[in-house]
Amino acid sequence: MKYDCIIIGGGLAGLTCGLKCLDDGLSCAIISAGMSALHFSSGSIDLLGYDPPGQVVPAPFETLSRFIEARPGHPYAKCGPETIEASLDFFRRELLAEGLEICSNGRDNHFHVTALGTLRPTYLSQASVFNERIREAFFRQPRIAVLTVKGFRDFHPGLAAANLRRNALFKDCEIVTGQIELPWFEQTPQNPHEFRSIDLGRMFDSGRGLGLVAARVKEAARGAVFVGLPAVIGFEDYNRVMKRLMDLTELIIYEVPTLPPSILGLRMDNALKSRFAARGGVFIAGDRVIGGEITGGRLDHVHTRNYGDSRLRAGHFVLAGGSFFSGGLVSEFDRMSEPVFGLEMDYQPGRGNWYSPAFLDRRGHPFLEYGVKTDQALRPLDRHGRPVENLLCVGAVLAGYNPVKEGSGGGTAIATGFQAALRVAAD
Amino acid sequence: MIDLKNITFDHCLKCTVCTIYCPVARVSPEFPGPKQSGPDAERLRIKDPGLLDDSLRFCTNCKRCEIACPSDVRIADIIQTAKWKYAGRTFRPRDFLLGRTDLLGRPAVRASRLVNALAGFKPARILADKLFRIPVDRPLPRYDRGTFERWFSDHASSQDGFERKAVYFHGCYVNYNDHALGRDVVRLLNALGFGVTLTREVCCGVPLMAGGYIDRARKNARHNIGVLTRASGEAARIVSASSTCSFALKNEYPNLLGLDNSAIAGRIEYITRFVHRCFEEGPVPRLGPLELTVAYHAPCHLERMGGALYTIELLKRIPGLNLKLLHSECCGIAGTYGFKSEFHPVAQEVGRDLFRRIEAIRPDVVITDCETCKWQIELNTSRPVLHPVTLLCQSLDV
Amino acid sequence: MRIVECEVAVIGGGITGAGTLRDCALRGLKAVLIEKNDLASGTTGRNHGLLHSGARYAVQDPESAVECIAENRILKKIAHHCIENTGGLFVTLPDDDPGFHALLLQGCRAAGIECDEISADHARRLEPHLNPDIVAALKVPDGTIDPFRLTSANVLDAVEHGAKVMTHTEVTGLIVDRERIAGFNCLDKRTGEPFELRARVVVNASGVWGQKVCAWAGIDLPMFPSKGSMVIIDYRVNNVVINRCRPPADGDIIVPGDTVSLIGTTSKKIPYDEIEDLVVDDDEIEVLLADGEKLIPNVSRTRVLRAYCGVRPLVAVSGKTFGRDISRGIVLVDHLERDGAEGLVTIAGGKLMTYRLMAEMTADLVCRKLGRKAACSTRSTPLPGSGKKAPLKKTARRFSGIPQSVVGSTHYRHGERAHRFLSRDPKSYGLICECEMVTAGEVTYAVRHLMAKDLIDLRRRTRLGMGPCQGELCAYRAAGLFTELGPAKGDEATRMLIDFLEERFKGLKPVLWGDALRELEFTYWIYQGLFGLTELDRPSESDEAD
Repeated sequence: MKYDCIIIGGGLAGLTCGLKCLDDGLSCAIISAGMSALHFSSGSIDLLGYDPPGQVVPAPFETLSRFIEARPGHPYAKCGPETIEASLDFFRRELLAEGLEICSNGRDNHFHVTALGTLRPTYLSQASVFNERIREAFFRQPRIAVLTVKGFRDFHPGLAAANLRRNALFKDCEIVTGQIELPWFEQTPQNPHEFRSIDLGRMFDSGRGLGLVAARVKEAARGAVFVGLPAVIGFEDYNRVMKRLMDLTELIIYEVPTLPPSILGLRMDNALKSRFAARGGVFIAGDRVIGGEITGGRLDHVHTRNYGDSRLRAGHFVLAGGSFFSGGLVSEFDRMSEPVFGLEMDYQPGRGNWYSPAFLDRRGHPFLEYGVKTDQALRPLDRHGRPVENLLCVGAVLAGYNPVKEGSGGGTAIATGFQAALRVAAD
Repeated sequence: MIDLKNITFDHCLKCTVCTIYCPVARVSPEFPGPKQSGPDAERLRIKDPGLLDDSLRFCTNCKRCEIACPSDVRIADIIQTAKWKYAGRTFRPRDFLLGRTDLLGRPAVRASRLVNALAGFKPARILADKLFRIPVDRPLPRYDRGTFERWFSDHASSQDGFERKAVYFHGCYVNYNDHALGRDVVRLLNALGFGVTLTREVCCGVPLMAGGYIDRARKNARHNIGVLTRASGEAARIVSASSTCSFALKNEYPNLLGLDNSAIAGRIEYITRFVHRCFEEGPVPRLGPLELTVAYHAPCHLERMGGALYTIELLKRIPGLNLKLLHSECCGIAGTYGFKSEFHPVAQEVGRDLFRRIEAIRPDVVITDCETCKWQIELNTSRPVLHPVTLLCQSLDV
Repeated sequence: MRIVECEVAVIGGGITGAGTLRDCALRGLKAVLIEKNDLASGTTGRNHGLLHSGARYAVQDPESAVECIAENRILKKIAHHCIENTGGLFVTLPDDDPGFHALLLQGCRAAGIECDEISADHARRLEPHLNPDIVAALKVPDGTIDPFRLTSANVLDAVEHGAKVMTHTEVTGLIVDRERIAGFNCLDKRTGEPFELRARVVVNASGVWGQKVCAWAGIDLPMFPSKGSMVIIDYRVNNVVINRCRPPADGDIIVPGDTVSLIGTTSKKIPYDEIEDLVVDDDEIEVLLADGEKLIPNVSRTRVLRAYCGVRPLVAVSGKTFGRDISRGIVLVDHLERDGAEGLVTIAGGKLMTYRLMAEMTADLVCRKLGRKAACSTRSTPLPGSGKKAPLKKTARRFSGIPQSVVGSTHYRHGERAHRFLSRDPKSYGLICECEMVTAGEVTYAVRHLMAKDLIDLRRRTRLGMGPCQGELCAYRAAGLFTELGPAKGDEATRMLIDFLEERFKGLKPVLWGDALRELEFTYWIYQGLFGLTELDRPSESDEAD
């Protein structure tokens, strides 16, 4: 089995890379060992949120050049501002082809509201989280409602409201909370207090009883025109359901991400995978790449757990295995490693160095910055310190950036995935 | 000492991804999901087996949870093992019979006309539903006359001329219900230059495992490992055309039954993988055009094992074929699961979206590698269902 | 200023204070307990959970051994819902001195502790994960005990008999009245309200902080704190307690406890001024895992859940002042006799499982000082939850409709008291913590009746957040539930959420590798990435218009 490009890892970076490869007419397979971190992401894409640390960046593209210059080892430096911008445009186009609209605030950052009522700077959000209407309405409301579904344990507006109220941006705005009772709860023997977001999302998909739901939303909103609901308004049929709900209520509804599973993240994951399949990509799910042969500075083939002694060959390989959660990087009692090829990692030995003193340290934890070392062309170094010619690394497996401190997680995944595809196509 | 291979629940991060992709949790409010029934509950069951929750019987063992898991937790294996380790043993004639395909099959093929007639006789079916809880709405598999083994032994000499041999594990479906598929397998292997040998195999044991008859399943498994080990001295590869049998021989024997199948594990191949490799190594037999719209459904166990890819690649090689890949999802029947009245509604509900998608495409034929998927799709759609090997043989014939 | 009056005031909400409060309350005394943090938040909460048979002391401290086995038997009757009668093994490895095995057997027999020699094969049948190389084994009546449940049950009984308990309340100064200690000035840390606590007798049961309390009264009671660390294994790898049959050293025990196992302990003497903010050291972790590995091979390669340390409040009686050999004997001091200070007694030393005896001794002294004749009844009065043994099957039948695993887990923790809040109302049996099966109903019960004032308290009463995810899903859910139940508004609940996550993190830091690191990364992505919790301390961006 031979492909132009085999991508190890089917998360945000891997899928972006795969889509761009297909866009350039290359044959492409993605091998993914389990579902990706998108499943608990906010569904928004952070490009550059903070620089210097703690200082919100209003216009990321204005800051990007300066930011990159100061950090030649950063993955963004290996892409360049033009490629970064092109990658985000490409990303939006591909998702739009699957019906998922991604919005930005022009070329500025915008805030999205979290379940705890904090505002996080981000660059791209799904239309139900940020769009023109939301942007205009957000700060001019005398009253905002944050509602939940009665009995839903994974979203509590009380927590969000309390923190929103403390934000000076809302000092002239009354924040009300409430809950709506869904008409479907009586019809199921399942305990509605154990519904997850996905269960609610599927119920909304069915569209039945939406009129009643809309009436209850309107009532619970108590006159607020701007209403926040947990992000469960449709799972697969979200556009239609949200439009109907807004038409019926005549309110501006925005979605707030909940405890996992994150429907917002899932929509993005589904759209990316669907687009990948539609464009002819092969997605091998539930299999783990366990090794590959690097000889003479080139990777010839990889082996997977399921395919045993079969060699999966490609002209180029992209390692998009993700961070520790996904198994792209491995930590043991006193060391870290990259488990597939044993690539050289950039990290601090000594476990005490891996974490910050406090869990919610705004700088994040040092281990978030650890990853595989790459050269300016995103090529990793093999066991002998030589760059592997036809292997590129993208996304969270990379060293040299702090997605939390910088607010750059999604952007790095997309930009490096895109950049890698460009290089593969060029070769 | 702790057996590190069998404590995969320890790696669970509680990310809930498995529960998103579980087809049973999606449709059945009585099943709390694989995370809760599997790794969560396992820590409790270890503390006290009395904390076993009955709801885990709804699990179909489709392995979709394992495909989704980012932490390599063998969730479905944990649940299946818990079913027979912690649950009480009550004898159910239905589960006994459903588990013993050989016991049923041998007499049935000798009186196939009568058995098939009875299987379609409504009053008998209603009685069976009431007494044994076999759903009246589910057609029972038709039996062929005689066994495939018998046919093969009558024609075994035709295989002598081949230098290279492949061992064919035919499985119960081919043996008792569909000789034609077996004949197609032989034809295809012959066309690739391989002669076929059979062994004195018995049922792979999957229906026994599903019924909780683990000791009996192990007995079958040991027997199969034995005969296949001896046979592979003559030929390198052991080929099966049933995705479920392949998966059982390769993965379930060590993971679920705890048996050592290292002597054969590397040599077991689902047939499309074998054929694909032959095609890559060449020479490729001439495939004639088939002007058909074909929808491909990847069975759950094939997805878990890895192999749908080969089926797809082979189908792509058939000229003229308009190939539509169906969204990979469970059809619901899950082997013997759909033959149990208490689970039949769940089985039907699980596959509902798949059936709708198939009808929307209106293919000339649906292709799938698993015999029970075939039954389920034929029951619930207007489309005929064929095995990829059968389609390849049709293409060879053109 | 508000004045709270009582006959006996107990300072310290650990097991000793709780037990003393209960004993006094059962005798009809008007009693009050104040605790600066939460019940069992000190050394009691850092206990290894081993219900000694006393065998451990049989060789070197026969007095303690006799005390132990007597209390062991009593607790198994009156506190059975806090105890698992697992039995224990003392195993000898090839490297160990075989003579100790004989000494132990002899010592047990002398102390009246049931002790059977069993073959290595028999031992392995009892405990399949045991090191296959063990050469000898002794079976003893060890068990495991949950210190949180035990403390909470004592307090619950005390309150039901009229006692008052004030947690999150600390001592700020002494009240002296005509040359006797009349009480203490206190501060309710949650409300900021100061008040006076006046009592005829004050019992200093504050464990290692006892030295500070005495200092308020100008009394010198030197303590020699010894730090002990433990490592928690993610799942229950053994079903019987496993002890190493050798003279006491580090890493001698693997104790099963509910759904986890614990490898313990170490012993490091620390200066008194360092008793707060202790951390588990790397070398302690290495030793514990290495020694645990010898008892259960491969245990160090399974998932390590967390590590924590506690301080043994060792009081110098006489002579030796360091190491494991300072007597763990009970120290009851009437400060009138020792220091001329009327109205204050200190109860210290001892160990968790002799708490009842310590409480009895203290309550006896208190009664003498008050001139009250009232006999101790704690030897035979069951704690709430340990009433008539409600078998699990019966409870499950009564609440059929609720999943068996949920009913069972709740029953484990609360005994027959679970019947007071288990309910078929879906809201009540909806799960908040999925790892340990803690329902909304149980959380509500803990908040309303067990004095759970924040999420950390809640964890002690219910096991919420003590499973593999360490609060990843349940922390937010519980914080949300708190706002519904009333004790906390939105921003206070958010504060509780942060505190809870930080508290969990403390125990994760020493073991942050492998799955623990993965879990932390995941939890971090949720609370920082999805929920933006780190943004809260940021000054409001009033100049950053959208």
